[in-house]
Amino acid sequence: MTKATTTRLKVSGCSKGFPGVQALTEVSLTVGAGEIHALLGENGAGKSTLGKIIAGVYHWDAGAIEFDGIALDRLDETSAGALGIGIVHQEGSLVGQLSIAENIFAGRQPIGRFNVVDRREMVRRTRELLNQLGVSLDPWTPVRALSTAQAQIVEIAKALSRDLKLLILDEPTSALTLTETARLFDLVRGLKASGVSIIYVSHRLSEIFELCDRVTVLKDGQVTGRRLLAETNQDELIRLMVGRDVHFARESNLAPGELVLEVNSVAAAPFVRNASFSVRRGEIVCLAGLVGSGRSEVCETIFGTRRHERGEIRLHGTRMRFEGPWDAMAAGVGMVPEDRKTAGLFLAKSLAENITIAVLSKVSPGGVISDRAIASYADRYVKELNIATPDILQLVGNLSGGNQQKVLLAKWLAPEPDLLIVDEPTRGVDVGARAEIYRLLRALRAKGFALLVVSSDLTEVLTLADRIVVMADGRTVGELPGDVADEESVLRLATQHTSIQSAGAA
Amino acid sequence: MTETAITKPNPETERQPASTEITKQAWPIRFLWKLADSRELTLVILIALLVVVMTVVYPNNFPTRYNFSAVMLNAAQNSILVAGMMLLMIGGTFDLSIGSALALSGVVAGVVVAWWGLPAEAGLLAGIAAGAFCGLINGVIVTRININALIATLATMAIFRGATQLVSGTGVTPIGDGFKAYGQASFLGMQSPFWFALFVVAAGWWLVARTRYFRQFYFIGGNAHAAQLSGIRVARITLTGFIIMGALAGLAGVLGSARLNSAVVSAGIGVELSVITAAVLGGASLRGGEGSVLGGVLGVLLIALVQNALIINGVGVYWQNIIVGLVLLFAVSLDRFKQTHRS
Repeated sequence: MTKATTTRLKVSGCSKGFPGVQALTEVSLTVGAGEIHALLGENGAGKSTLGKIIAGVYHWDAGAIEFDGIALDRLDETSAGALGIGIVHQEGSLVGQLSIAENIFAGRQPIGRFNVVDRREMVRRTRELLNQLGVSLDPWTPVRALSTAQAQIVEIAKALSRDLKLLILDEPTSALTLTETARLFDLVRGLKASGVSIIYVSHRLSEIFELCDRVTVLKDGQVTGRRLLAETNQDELIRLMVGRDVHFARESNLAPGELVLEVNSVAAAPFVRNASFSVRRGEIVCLAGLVGSGRSEVCETIFGTRRHERGEIRLHGTRMRFEGPWDAMAAGVGMVPEDRKTAGLFLAKSLAENITIAVLSKVSPGGVISDRAIASYADRYVKELNIATPDILQLVGNLSGGNQQKVLLAKWLAPEPDLLIVDEPTRGVDVGARAEIYRLLRALRAKGFALLVVSSDLTEVLTLADRIVVMADGRTVGELPGDVADEESVLRLATQHTSIQSAGAA
Repeated sequence: MTETAITKPNPETERQPASTEITKQAWPIRFLWKLADSRELTLVILIALLVVVMTVVYPNNFPTRYNFSAVMLNAAQNSILVAGMMLLMIGGTFDLSIGSALALSGVVAGVVVAWWGLPAEAGLLAGIAAGAFCGLINGVIVTRININALIATLATMAIFRGATQLVSGTGVTPIGDGFKAYGQASFLGMQSPFWFALFVVAAGWWLVARTRYFRQFYFIGGNAHAAQLSGIRVARITLTGFIIMGALAGLAGVLGSARLNSAVVSAGIGVELSVITAAVLGGASLRGGEGSVLGGVLGVLLIALVQNALIINGVGVYWQNIIVGLVLLFAVSLDRFKQTHRS
């Protein structure tokens, strides 16, 4: 544990309000040189706002900020950059059409002879940065061709490309795999050793314990606690975050029913090479594996958004071939996609419309929309899923992340599918909502739904799954019963890249 | 809009409806809010205001049956077109080729009736079919070949216009008395294009606002990817939207040539922009997902009335364009007002 000798950043009594919301109330924070300081809190607790204020994105309403002993009265993104403050945003700040190198050096490209951008130097430095992060990407790749995880790495490289004194990482691992996360942590520790201070914004407790020195916990825009991580534990931090105890215990299921889904040797180039597994009624099967192992793509194949060229998909024993999601839905399949904002929800539409979109035919007898039928569906699911909203006509974009996720689940419960695929059920969702979503998924299992869950969060997989199907490199490489699997056994399967079917595989 | 502002989970703030903020504000702001919330209401008020002022100032010229009928006749064509354009814009796309499709349809109808000697009804149907076929071509290019609607319909705008000239040279004049009746017959003092437009608008309004099929356009325009993943056949439905647009352009073209008893190759030049102007005035957004057929038609009526008022005033034709532009900017500024004052 480092003793912070010099104070790098001192925030005292900082407040910030947005129209209608007081985001921060008299928040104080001290970060020493070479310290990794965690900012912990649920979604909306104000941690991202605080990070953005320190990075000069927002201006604070009241309070004072000192950096290296100098009081700052104004801070914008340029002056923050000049002071050595860098931030990796939660949601991307990259330009999709431009290359990795151009994004990293946006506005500060190295200049060569004749005042022209020195492209060779830019590429060389980009390559160096990416190597530091342990990835080999072509610096000329346009950012839009990258996966979410790769784009995140480019964001980090962009922050690292400056002369850093303070790096703010806002939920940097939400899209990263375990290996990528481990690499990031090594890198952060390296920065710390060279005297850089890091503010690590997260709601993942295990990461904070692994990486950070001290933690400041926020709840509803106020500091509820400051701890040395060596002197606290998970339960205490959760209590500070949510004001109550939350436990994610495993719950074993009753005996699963008949086969609902059978996937036999399915291949859909280029991401799925050979996938075989099955899901029964009243069972939660989790697809685990690294990002890029083909988990989401298998789900898309089952849901009809991706064609398979080999193998077969059977539902209730009948071989299926879907032209599109509409066919899959007619056959009783639903899919909650990974990215709720771009693929799942209509943010500018009301909660009621979002919940009923997958059952349009049921709310429009004779082809004419019935507002009453829409309202009755919406009311039912708002109650059933405990969605916090002023009314069912509220725009979904105005809801919190957890409530948006519940609306997305409600949308797929409404058609009452036999098989529900859930891709990353709790991404960007706070601890409280996470517990509710787990409870909900278990309730669905008890009702006889067949559930196929994709998750990058190993703890989640181990908490939820009755069976764990591990994928690597587009292949299902093994299967583990949920009650005996542990992180090590799943990871061992996920990281072996040879496609050996383990003894237990179907 | 900030992340923190919208994801704040505090139930107290979340349960308060957004509108409680505005009750504290002064009445002009509240009034602007009401206007900003319903584009249709804004337009109705503007139209009513214009009608009242014109009636008071020009009691002899404006509120006459002849003037009313003339305004409506002028607005009929664009009202028919705006119903289709609104549908496309709700679905997040648009069609620039409607002026050319309109001319081609008129010419096809003229050729069928005047040159081939078929009955007027055959000409009417052939014209509408030609328009629908133009729409089909646009739809296939946009939804199956995945070419951006701006570029695709810019190209077909030129192609259809060229085809019009190819089919008829300089046009078809006269077409025939039986055919002419569809554009010139009058009922209750109003000429037939008005009645066609009224039917299209009323049916379009109800269909787009109330039916399941057309509701899907709102979802496609709101988020096409999410719509696809919600089981909506995005490509097929968008294609249908283009065919409907084309058929309406065909109807407008046939009615126009019947009204003049002449199919001219230069018909409908520039009509796409005035229709899109009316649609935006009526609440459509280029991003898609919003708008209503009623709004679009009110947009057409407002523009028609402004032009009529300016003509009665004796204001030069150049001023008409300037004022239509200013009205459009005013209406769209209301949206910006709404966006910056919400949250």
